Amino acid sequence: MRIVIAEDLALLRDGLARLLRDNDFEVVAEVADADALVHAVLREQPDLAIVDIRLPPTFRDEGLRAALELRRTAPGTAILVLSQYVEHTYAAELLGETRAGGIGYLLKDRVMDVSDFVDAVRRVGAGGAALDPEVVAQLLGQRGSRPIDVLTQREQDVLKLMAEGRSNAGIAEALVLTVGAVEKHVASIFQKLRLPPSESDHRRVLAVLAYLQGQ
Amino acid sequence: MSLIAPFRPWFQAQTYRDLLHLATAVPIAAVVLALLTAGWTAIGVLLITPLVVPVLLAYRGAVGLLARTEAALAHSLLGVATDPPTSSCGRGFWGHAKAVVADPSFWRQQGYLVLRMTLGFGFAVGELSLIAAAAGSITLPIWYRWSAPDITSSWHVDTLGRAFLFVPAGVAGLVAAGWLARLLGSASARLAASLLEGRRDVSASPEQRRRRRRRALGIHAGVAAGIVLTQVVVWALAGRGYFWPEWVILPLALVLAVHAWVELVEARRPARRLLAVHAGVTAALFLFVTLVWAVTGRGHFWPGWVLLGLGQPLAIHFAATRAGTRSRLRRRVERLESTRAEAVDEQDAELRRIERDLHDGAQARLVALGLNLGMAEQKFRSDPEAAEKLVAEARAGAAEALRELRDLARGIYPPVLSDRGLGAALETLVDRNGLETTVSVALDERPPARIETAAYFVAAEALANAAKHSGATRIQVRVGRRGDMLEVEVTDDGRGGADESGNGLVGLRRRVEALDGTFSVASPDGGPTTIRAELPCES
Repeated sequence: MRIVIAEDLALLRDGLARLLRDNDFEVVAEVADADALVHAVLREQPDLAIVDIRLPPTFRDEGLRAALELRRTAPGTAILVLSQYVEHTYAAELLGETRAGGIGYLLKDRVMDVSDFVDAVRRVGAGGAALDPEVVAQLLGQRGSRPIDVLTQREQDVLKLMAEGRSNAGIAEALVLTVGAVEKHVASIFQKLRLPPSESDHRRVLAVLAYLQGQ
Repeated sequence: MSLIAPFRPWFQAQTYRDLLHLATAVPIAAVVLALLTAGWTAIGVLLITPLVVPVLLAYRGAVGLLARTEAALAHSLLGVATDPPTSSCGRGFWGHAKAVVADPSFWRQQGYLVLRMTLGFGFAVGELSLIAAAAGSITLPIWYRWSAPDITSSWHVDTLGRAFLFVPAGVAGLVAAGWLARLLGSASARLAASLLEGRRDVSASPEQRRRRRRRALGIHAGVAAGIVLTQVVVWALAGRGYFWPEWVILPLALVLAVHAWVELVEARRPARRLLAVHAGVTAALFLFVTLVWAVTGRGHFWPGWVLLGLGQPLAIHFAATRAGTRSRLRRRVERLESTRAEAVDEQDAELRRIERDLHDGAQARLVALGLNLGMAEQKFRSDPEAAEKLVAEARAGAAEALRELRDLARGIYPPVLSDRGLGAALETLVDRNGLETTVSVALDERPPARIETAAYFVAAEALANAAKHSGATRIQVRVGRRGDMLEVEVTDDGRGGADESGNGLVGLRRRVEALDGTFSVASPDGGPTTIRAELPCES
C-alpha cells in the first residue's frame, strides 16, 4: 500500500514513517504542509494520505481543508486524518464529503497501539472507515431527538462499533453476540435509517453519516 | 569658665550670623510688604480678566525670586540648604495660573515672606532694641558721668550710684540677648527649611516631608497662640479698655487658618486641591472681613460685597473644575477601555501561545514516545535489539517532554518569583541567560504580586530580546522604587534598532499599560537599547 504522510512536526512524521515501513507499507512522500500534501497526492496517486489536521502556515485546520479538497480532486486516495484533538464538527465535514473511498479520523494517541493503528490504516486504505472511539462517543453523546433515536440501545451499540470501522465479526466479538445477531441488528439499522440496499461498506459509512447529518 | 558660660553665644560666630539674619528682616520686610500689597492688589483688581494670568505669573516669579534671596540668606547665615522653585509648571494659558495657585511651594514661600515681614521684623526690632538697651545700661555710668544729664534724666538716674545699679540689669539683658539670638536663629533655620524646602528636595521621603510640614503648622499655631496670649495679658494688665488685641488676633487667625487649610488639603489630587484651597481661602477671607465688620460698629453689611466679589471667581472655578473632571474622567474611561481591550487581546494571544507550545511540544513528544514504545512492544520478541533502542529513545523523549513542560510552566509563572521575590527571580533568569548581566534590585518591600509579575516579564522579555537579537555582550537590569512607582530598566550594549512593534514588546506594553504603568523603548541604530517600564505600586 502506497502512503503519503503530511505532518509538520518532524519528530512525529519520522516516527510515523518508520512505523509504517516497519509494517510493510510503502511511504512514498513525507511532507510538512498542506500545499505539499496536495502536490504529492496528485503526483504520486497513493492509496492513502495520512494528514495532520493542523498544518502550517496558520496551524488551524489546514490539513482538514486539504483533505476535503483531495476528496474531490483525487477520489482514488483514501484519507486518514490524525489530530491531537477530537472535534465532531471536523468529523462531520470529513464524512459529509464521503461519496466513496476510505475515510478515517483518529486521535494521534492511537499510534501507540501499533497493531490497532496498522489495522485502521489497512482498513481505510482498502476503502473502509475508521473513526476514533472518542469521535464516535462525542457524536453519539450529543445527539438529541435525531434519526438515531429510533434505534434501540443494542442497535446504537452496534452502530457505535460500526462507526469505529469494525466488521460484523468484530462487532459480534466486542458485544459477545453471534455474527447472525449482529447482521440482524445491522439490517434493522439500515432499514430504520432508510438506507437503500447497496454495497455494504458504503452503507455502513452512510449509517454513520446519518448520525452526523441528523444535526 | 562658669562665669563666661552665660555669655557663650557672644563668643560664637553663629550668634552674629543669626543676628545678621534677623537684621536682614528689616529691609526685606519693606520689600515684602510692597510686593505683597502690589501683587495681590493687582491680582484682585484683574481677577476676572485674562490679564490676571500674566500678573499672577509675574507675581509668582517675584515671590520665587525673593524666596531664592531668602534661601541664599538662610544658606549663608543659618546653614540651611534649600532650593525653592521660582516657577510653577502648567500647560495652557489658564493652566499656568492654575499651576501657580495649586503649587504649595508658592503659598509656603509667601507664608515665609509674611512671617519674615511680621515676626521677623518684630523680633529683629526687639532683639536689636534689647541689645541696645543692654549696652546702654552697662555703659550708663559712663554716659552719666560724661554726657549731659538730660539724656539720662528720663531714666530717673540722678546719682552715679543709681547709674551703676543699671549695670547688672544690662549684663543680664546682654546674656538674654545672646541666647535669644541663637534661639531665633535656629527657629528661623527651621522655618526656612520647612517653608523654602522646594520640590527638588528628593532626599526626604513623602512621609518625612509631611511630618515636617505638620510640625511647621504646629509651631505656627503655637507662636500665634503665644502672641495672642501675650497681647491679651498686656491688655488685661493695661486697664482693659478697648479690646485692641482683636486686631492682632484676626490677621493671625486668618493666616493660621489658611496655612492649616492648605496643609489639610495637601493630600488631595491637584485639581481638587486647587479648588479646595480656593474655597478655603475664600471662606477664610469672608470670615475675616465679617469678623472685622462685627468688631467695627456693624453698620451696613459691606462684607456682602466682598463675598460677591470672591464668590464669582470661586463659582467659575468650581464649574471649570467640574467640567475638567468630567473630561478627565472621559479620557480615563477611554484609556481604560483601550488598555482593557488590549489586555484581553494579550491574554488571548498568551493562551494561544501556550496551547501551541503544548501542542507542538510536550503533547507531540508524548505521542512520539508512545509510538516508540508501541513499536518496541511489537518488536520485543522478534528484534530485541531494535526494541531496546526504541525504549531508549522513548526515555530520552520523556525527559525532553518533561523539560519542555517545565520551561512552559516557568514561562507562565516562575515559582521562584512568588517564593523569593523579584531579586531572586531575576538572578535565576540571568543565570540561564549566559550573557554578562548585572542585576540591581533596590526595593524596601515586595510590591503587589501583579506588579511584581509584570516587572519580571518586562525584564525577562527584554533579556531574551537582548540575547536573541541585539548582539549585546553586557546587559544591565535595574529595578528600583521612585515615589509610588516601581521602575524596571534593562539596558544592553548591542546594536540597537529594536522593533517596538514586535510581538514581545507589544505584549509587554499592553501588560504594563493595563496596570496603569508606562512603557518605553529607546533603541537608536547602533545602540544602546534601553527598555523601561514604570508601574504604580499603590492603586
